Amino acid sequence: MKKAVYLALVASLVLSTVVGAAGCSKGLGKEVKLGIIIPVTGSQAKFGEAQKRGYAIALEEINKAGGVLGKPLALVYEDDMSKAEGAISAVDKLVTQQKLTFILGSYSSATTEAAASKISGYAVPLLIPTAAADSITEKGSQWVFRINAPSKVYASVVLDFMNKVAAPKTLAIIYENTNFGTSTAKASKEQAEAMKIKVVSYEAYQAGAPDFKPLLLKVKKENPEVVFFVSYLLDATLLMRQTREIDFNPKLYTAGGAGFSMLEFVAASGAGKDAEFTTSVTQWTPDVKWKGAKEFAEKFKGLYGTYPEYHSAEAYAALNVAKDVIERAKSLDPKKLREALAATDIKDGPFGPIKFDAKGQNTHTMLVTQIQGGQFVTVYPESLAGAKTIYPTPAWKERK
Amino acid sequence: MLSFAQILISGILTGALYALVGIGLTIIFGVMRVINFAHGELLMVGMYISFFAATLLGLDPYVSLLIVAPALFVIGVLIQRYLINPVLKAPEFNQILVTLGVGLVLTNSAQLLFTADYRQVRTAYSSLTWGGNLAISVPYTVSFLLALAITAALYVFLMRTDLGKAMRATAQDREAARLMGINVERVSMVAFGIGAAAAGAAGTLLMPVYYLFPAVGEPFTLKAFVVVVLGGMGSVIGATFGGLILGAVEAIGSLYASTGYKDAYGFVIFLLILILKPSGLFGRSRV
Amino acid sequence: MKPPAGISPRPPWRSRLAWGAAVALLALPLLVSSPYYLSLLVMVFLWTTAASAWNLLGGFTGQLSLGHAAYFGVGAYAVALLGSRFGVSPWLGLLAGAAAAVPVALVIGGVCFRLRGPYFTLATIASTEVLRQVALNWRSFTNGAVGLSVPPLFVGVSRAPYYYATLALAALTLLVSARLTTSKTGYWLQAIREDEDTAQSIGVDTARYKLLALAISAVFVALAGGIFAGYLSYIEPDIVLTVGLSIQICVFAIIGGLGTVEGPVLGAFLLTIASELFRSSFKQAHLIIYGVLMIVVMLFMPDGLLGQYRRWRSRPATSPAGSKGVRA
Repeated sequence: MKKAVYLALVASLVLSTVVGAAGCSKGLGKEVKLGIIIPVTGSQAKFGEAQKRGYAIALEEINKAGGVLGKPLALVYEDDMSKAEGAISAVDKLVTQQKLTFILGSYSSATTEAAASKISGYAVPLLIPTAAADSITEKGSQWVFRINAPSKVYASVVLDFMNKVAAPKTLAIIYENTNFGTSTAKASKEQAEAMKIKVVSYEAYQAGAPDFKPLLLKVKKENPEVVFFVSYLLDATLLMRQTREIDFNPKLYTAGGAGFSMLEFVAASGAGKDAEFTTSVTQWTPDVKWKGAKEFAEKFKGLYGTYPEYHSAEAYAALNVAKDVIERAKSLDPKKLREALAATDIKDGPFGPIKFDAKGQNTHTMLVTQIQGGQFVTVYPESLAGAKTIYPTPAWKERK
Repeated sequence: MLSFAQILISGILTGALYALVGIGLTIIFGVMRVINFAHGELLMVGMYISFFAATLLGLDPYVSLLIVAPALFVIGVLIQRYLINPVLKAPEFNQILVTLGVGLVLTNSAQLLFTADYRQVRTAYSSLTWGGNLAISVPYTVSFLLALAITAALYVFLMRTDLGKAMRATAQDREAARLMGINVERVSMVAFGIGAAAAGAAGTLLMPVYYLFPAVGEPFTLKAFVVVVLGGMGSVIGATFGGLILGAVEAIGSLYASTGYKDAYGFVIFLLILILKPSGLFGRSRV
Repeated sequence: MKPPAGISPRPPWRSRLAWGAAVALLALPLLVSSPYYLSLLVMVFLWTTAASAWNLLGGFTGQLSLGHAAYFGVGAYAVALLGSRFGVSPWLGLLAGAAAAVPVALVIGGVCFRLRGPYFTLATIASTEVLRQVALNWRSFTNGAVGLSVPPLFVGVSRAPYYYATLALAALTLLVSARLTTSKTGYWLQAIREDEDTAQSIGVDTARYKLLALAISAVFVALAGGIFAGYLSYIEPDIVLTVGLSIQICVFAIIGGLGTVEGPVLGAFLLTIASELFRSSFKQAHLIIYGVLMIVVMLFMPDGLLGQYRRWRSRPATSPAGSKGVRA
């Protein structure tokens, strides 16, 4: 019995090694193939799934409209397992095994940093839809392009917004101890101090703490005019619920996207009524007045039952940009693709205008939303706004 | 002063949940001398059962305790019977690896079956508070009281019932207990079952105030270790106080020092206790 | 008693096999130019190094550390911090990391070796968690969760330099490991594993030897961490300082065969390749399979794959698992 199990195990391991080594395909020609890196497994799998849905809708639309360069478009997905070394392995596999010359991805800053560091060596363009760490494009690789805004833009847009609406003298920053949280908070603190706003609290927390009261009470003691959160969904929910429990009433609650701009945040199963009046900077909203944004949002809802988050929209937009680039490059030669990417000038699309600067960073306009009557409405910048900001935020006890 | 009192109370209320997770771990360790690295994952399973009981059957999370605890007991018994018993005599490396493997299988099965989506159950009382300006959370208070009640019940069970006495005997000396005619294998299964049920119960009590995703358990495994070492491995009373102390220390530490280090406070105390009083605050010497 | 690994005389075919393997490994990058396969092997060699180094303490000395990510992290952060803050060459950073691992190991060892068995294991986890929290929160120095860019050890797209560097490191670790098994020190270490109290009573300075094993182990793990950082070109606390990483390192050694020279190699090779294949063929289920594999191996072959193989080869002399007894 033991021996049988042992032999079966060893045999299956050896066999799978051999099969795996032999089974690498190199299909080229009939289709235009792109490589996509997403997290399918591991801690970021949820976001990988959101991105995959965005890619899938774009793919279906593009192929329905005749594909690219007269051929159907096909996507080759690689899982980075939510790990940096997984992203490197994925890049290696897509570029050298699959012979692909155009890669999109990945999700997190850590995996994208790792992928970007290797892509330059291959001289193959990488188009980034989501990762927000500033350093990714600041290294100045000519092969790395990013459509979403990096974390320092989150900071500057939030500060412009709060200055315009509240002109506060004091600010509290509460952020999650992750790459995105730390870099956004740091940029906000620096910019706030440059604007002579006093940062009275600057508190990091470990995601997934069930109880935020000690933290919130500590911040409440400082009596800040504005509170700025950088938090993911469920922490956002708990934070708002507990600010109400301790009756903490700054004049404005604002946030750096993430949890505070997710639809689940406003839902009854999320923060519900406690979410009302919170503002947040975000990459994208389903109601934004950009061409095709609303259509995408509705199509997504028809397919999956909910409106998309910005991760899905970013993926959807990225694939559409990729199609535009390939058509202008008229080939899959990486050099021509790179030139076409650098020359991209999309005036309006589901993700707004797309144009890359010298470092490959798209100058993306970020939006500020406020929750009014249980809905996200765009309140800033004014040119894209659907409503005015309600300010100051009513105290908890004055709310119905 | 008000904020100090608020923080201390909220820390202690959270601490009762840590205590319940820790008690499960300490019972398993006490009887089998096995550190259960899948403990947080059992809590996660309990949370999923409670979640589905709430969404599919409309059961209040606190009522779903009546389903979760027996279900986790059975899961615990099965794990002990088929996975832990065979390696009880093997080196502790192997036992740890088996429990790690169980944790890996549970987390990833949950992800495969239920996706990595975050979920929570919101009840009518989720954001209610009492105590005037102290603003003490109602669900935390209920969870606190239930956790204490479960702990007290476990204590009575261990002290007063024949099965409880057999468990304590096995914990003291497995071979002697066997010679005394105690069915050690059966006692072990019950012990693992109770440990798992306690973890599941803690998960259920967290449900009205917290959220759920497949990897939610890992930090709780680590916290449970801290709780158990604080109180002395194998001691139920010790784990209870260990949990309360950990909750209070985390809360007060966040108030007076950096909140970013919140998780580190527990580990520092953990190391200090291990060095200064390795038997824990309530345990017998072990070196 | 366990069959004393590595002491038995080797038949000539085995040394010939070893030479053949060495030549094949050296020639491989000339034949396989695909960076994909070379990167896979780079990871295999890195894990071989870390697992063999862990095995010096865990396998030979019997101290189950689940905190080796600490040394991996020290190595990685040394390269990253010296490179990004002071512009120091990553090679010097690598050496500095290896050197820094020794005092870190002595401090952690000094604390944790006061404890035995499961308490020791828990203390190693806690020490690493404290280090991780420091790396996360000491933002002005470590950059916190934002992480650090790491200067590459080798320029250019070819993976061959990393391949040879990690191969050399793995070979060196194995050499040290093999020498140690047959040396007097190795003998004392095994004596500690079999029965620490008896070892002490016959005059072995167990505290010193345990620290020695930990320090050697930490140096190699730090070197692996340093090369890994250069290879990734970016690190953050959640990449190099996690409990998950500590567990991974010891799983390779235990599945391969604890306390043998070759076991960690076998474990690192099979599990890295298997994980890559499961990932592409089973998608989300791959970690479930990994977990099942761990359970099955531990239930049916408690000495790991290699241990089981040896047991069959020397059947009459074997004894049931658990001859070591459970320590309190």
